Amino acid sequence: MWKYLIEKEFRQFFRDPMLPRIVIVFPLLMMLVFPFAANMEVKDINLVVVDSDRTDISAELIEKCTGSGYFRLKAVCDDPREAQEMMDRNAVDAILTIGQGFSRSVATGEDVPVGIKVNTVNGTKGSISSQYLSDCIMLFMRQFSVSGPSVASAQASVLQSASAPVIDAAPKYYYNAYMDYKVFMVPALMVIAVTMVTGFFPALNIVGEKEAGTIEQMNVSPVSKTAFIVCKMIPYWVITFFMLGMCLLIAWLVFGYVCRGSLWGIVLFTVLHIMVTAGLGLLISSYSENAQQAMFIMMFFVLIFMLMSGVFTPVSSMPAWARAITYANPLRYYADAMRAIFLKGSSVAELWYDAAGLLTIGAAVLFWAVRSYRKTS
Amino acid sequence: MKEFLAFVRKEFNHIFRDRRTMLIVLILPVVQMILFGYAVRTEIEHARVDIVGDMSDPEVRRIVGRMDSNRYLDVQEVLPSTGFISSRFRRNESDVAVCFERDFGTRLRKTGTGHVKVVGDGSDPNSAQMVVNYVMGVLRSEQTEISAELSGSESSVAFTPSVQLMYNPAMKSAYNFVPGVMGLIMMIICSMMTSVSIVREKETGTMELLLASPVKPLWILVSKVLPYLLVSTVNFITILLLSRYMMGVPLRGSLLLLSVVAVLFVFTSLSLGLLISVVASTQKTALLLSGMGLMMPTVLLSGIIFPCENMPAALQWLSHLIPAKWFIIMVKKIMIQGAGFPYIIKEFCILAGMTVFLMTVGVRKFRIRL
Amino acid sequence: MENVIEIHGLTKRFGSFTAVDHISFSVRKGEIFGFLGANGAGKTTAMRILCGLSVPTSGGGTVAGYDIVREPEKIKRHIGYMSQKFSLYSDLKVWENIRLFGGIYGLSDREIADKTSEILSSLGMADVRDSFVASLPLGWKQKLAFSIALIHEPDIVFLDEPTGGVDPETRRRFWELIYDAASRGVTVFVTTHYMDEAEYCDRVSVMVDGRIGALDSPAGLKRTYGAEDMDGVFRILAGRALRKE
Repeated sequence: MWKYLIEKEFRQFFRDPMLPRIVIVFPLLMMLVFPFAANMEVKDINLVVVDSDRTDISAELIEKCTGSGYFRLKAVCDDPREAQEMMDRNAVDAILTIGQGFSRSVATGEDVPVGIKVNTVNGTKGSISSQYLSDCIMLFMRQFSVSGPSVASAQASVLQSASAPVIDAAPKYYYNAYMDYKVFMVPALMVIAVTMVTGFFPALNIVGEKEAGTIEQMNVSPVSKTAFIVCKMIPYWVITFFMLGMCLLIAWLVFGYVCRGSLWGIVLFTVLHIMVTAGLGLLISSYSENAQQAMFIMMFFVLIFMLMSGVFTPVSSMPAWARAITYANPLRYYADAMRAIFLKGSSVAELWYDAAGLLTIGAAVLFWAVRSYRKTS
Repeated sequence: MKEFLAFVRKEFNHIFRDRRTMLIVLILPVVQMILFGYAVRTEIEHARVDIVGDMSDPEVRRIVGRMDSNRYLDVQEVLPSTGFISSRFRRNESDVAVCFERDFGTRLRKTGTGHVKVVGDGSDPNSAQMVVNYVMGVLRSEQTEISAELSGSESSVAFTPSVQLMYNPAMKSAYNFVPGVMGLIMMIICSMMTSVSIVREKETGTMELLLASPVKPLWILVSKVLPYLLVSTVNFITILLLSRYMMGVPLRGSLLLLSVVAVLFVFTSLSLGLLISVVASTQKTALLLSGMGLMMPTVLLSGIIFPCENMPAALQWLSHLIPAKWFIIMVKKIMIQGAGFPYIIKEFCILAGMTVFLMTVGVRKFRIRL
Repeated sequence: MENVIEIHGLTKRFGSFTAVDHISFSVRKGEIFGFLGANGAGKTTAMRILCGLSVPTSGGGTVAGYDIVREPEKIKRHIGYMSQKFSLYSDLKVWENIRLFGGIYGLSDREIADKTSEILSSLGMADVRDSFVASLPLGWKQKLAFSIALIHEPDIVFLDEPTGGVDPETRRRFWELIYDAASRGVTVFVTTHYMDEAEYCDRVSVMVDGRIGALDSPAGLKRTYGAEDMDGVFRILAGRALRKE
């Protein structure tokens, strides 16, 4: 009996005008396009300089800032209002104001008329931009006072004096030493692809049979509900692993990223996650009357899962109540585990916490799904 | 005209009778807005710090105490040796390890240099950089204090330029993310609602009846869009109220302008949904296209989370095609920067152009099917 | 004669609404049993209970010798079902549908192959073996669905408004199939809207407001109600209904 049902699902899958294409295109997009988009590095900050000093020294400072590689100099103007206007238009992200008498005061090191204005609508970007700009200016000041003709400043004397102890702090990154954001996103994007295919395609499929009336025909047959559902899911599971393989292959061929941990760990967590999404898909399909409702509910959950899982923004940034909600989010555990295995080579034993989380959610969801999904009314 | 009104009435009845769908469409955005408005942020608090070093050394203890009192850092455990760091990272139990060399305090006093290694778990580069910067900041302030103690009070206060934070001085993440979430939710709800409207009639075969009537195809489409326009307006109002009064995002510009922009964006989304509905052959296809097909690009390419200006040129071009991107830019300008119409004219024209284009293609394709 | 369906005091309530109200009847083996009633009279609900799709609130009975409350899964092996909503898979080919339903009812690959050629030749549909069901005319789909409902040689076949939306000629040919099945000893339980079809049945029951208003042979009913045809009988009985759609 199972053979015939699985055969049917595969036939229907490959005949669908959309699904096979989605399964090929989706991971390609996920792996080849989105890693480039998902990038939070701050660079190419648009800068406008209001230079009222107009001396060689002020020009040198501008040179110093643009030479850092973080800034793109948009304009140098005289009127601060003009600069402000540019910021209002979003044409620039930061304004550097160099006041009159800059070259004189820089020599004495007192009351240097330099100001920074940054657009902090995006707080992270704003604070990093201002940090970069301050660093550039301070570096310039230091160099100037060391090499310059003036008396060594107090700052320099501190640096040079042998008597003051120095804490020599060296930052270092254990994993991902080049701070590559893409390698961080790649496993997470795989997670999203798996979630969509295993949870939501089958749910749409079941609701589709409901709408077409064919599910009724199945209900009067001796096919048990379990057999019917499991046979529906199997093709999607096969496809998921095909897709996962494709993603891993692309990650290796295109980016040279190799999974550091064991592939079996990835398989194990994927199986656990599938258990959760399958249960959810079933729940959704049994509570919705038509495909539109099912899709709305799905989108609702997918968005919440994605945005509250730490895939894009860290869970630790969330307020306490939101962090509490993430404990019920399967993607939190799955993404966490996939990243740890892929990037750090964590073993399954080290990630027992994530496995336990997924198992608990999976058991709860499946229990509820089976109870709500009855053949008779 | 009479037939047209009859059509409109029919569409309204049709949509508002499906109570469950209505409920879903009106409630989901509210829940999402609240969740994302608070939860999607990038500030790091409570970074977990491990210490490797001799806690009996008073200098080490002083620095560790300083870290623990920093609001961004939570000191977790003291590890016996650096060998334990990697296993803590692999278990995701810690974000950064601060390693003091042996006899740190003594060396600092005697040789004048004390070595500290700050080891971040770099797998998430942004968070790691931020956390390491916090730790470095703590070390730096310790340094300043030591220098001050030793070389007396005449020591320099290092020069720092004055920094002015524009528009969002408290640097709240909400200012950045709420407009994005608004755009995302409106886009998906509107286009998913309309995407089934025509294809459903195609599937049930009632389309022929409509087409046989004397009403022009354009007006059939308009009658289909009107009820959704109403629903979307209600959605927009609730979302706006939430972001203003719950999330505390300011509304510095004019409400009227914001409403005009929102209505335009709703039109864009609705016409995109209609186009999908006209092109798709089954409801399932339409829903997959409008749901999955729009969601990922909108989340990733519209600048909601990841700034567009960081993307490679090709992707920046691609992001220009995402209507939500322009809407989000305009909302940020109006709400947070308080900009007037002259400042958003470019984005407004682009979005209007997109709407007209989508509408025209939709209507034309619809006519061909006649 | 042996009864294949026996029902006593069958009741189904949805909240305060009683869809089926204490109905009792029996159906004999090999008979064509017409199940009539206006929309909302409760006939679909009653039929769903008999097929094991729905559990009665009270009352009970047997179908094909199995209890409808305790053994619905056993009933399902011995009945065929064709619903008013056309329910073959339209994205599968004709032979694939036959194969699927044959497989579900436990037929072996070999039996399925035999059945496939038998069904296709008797329906004259051998040419469309490889066509998608979606591309067939409605009348053909219904005949195919009926044959597939009989693929596992069930004791009883339930037909829920099987001939909706087709022309009289196609309907007549469909009834030939029904007669053919009945002559092979299959009991046919059919609901219909068409009163001329009711004339073809051996016995007819008419449901009014969840109860059985009358049950007899078409000739007997016409005599009792002094009507010329079944349409007249139906109008008299349906006129008594308090429940409106």
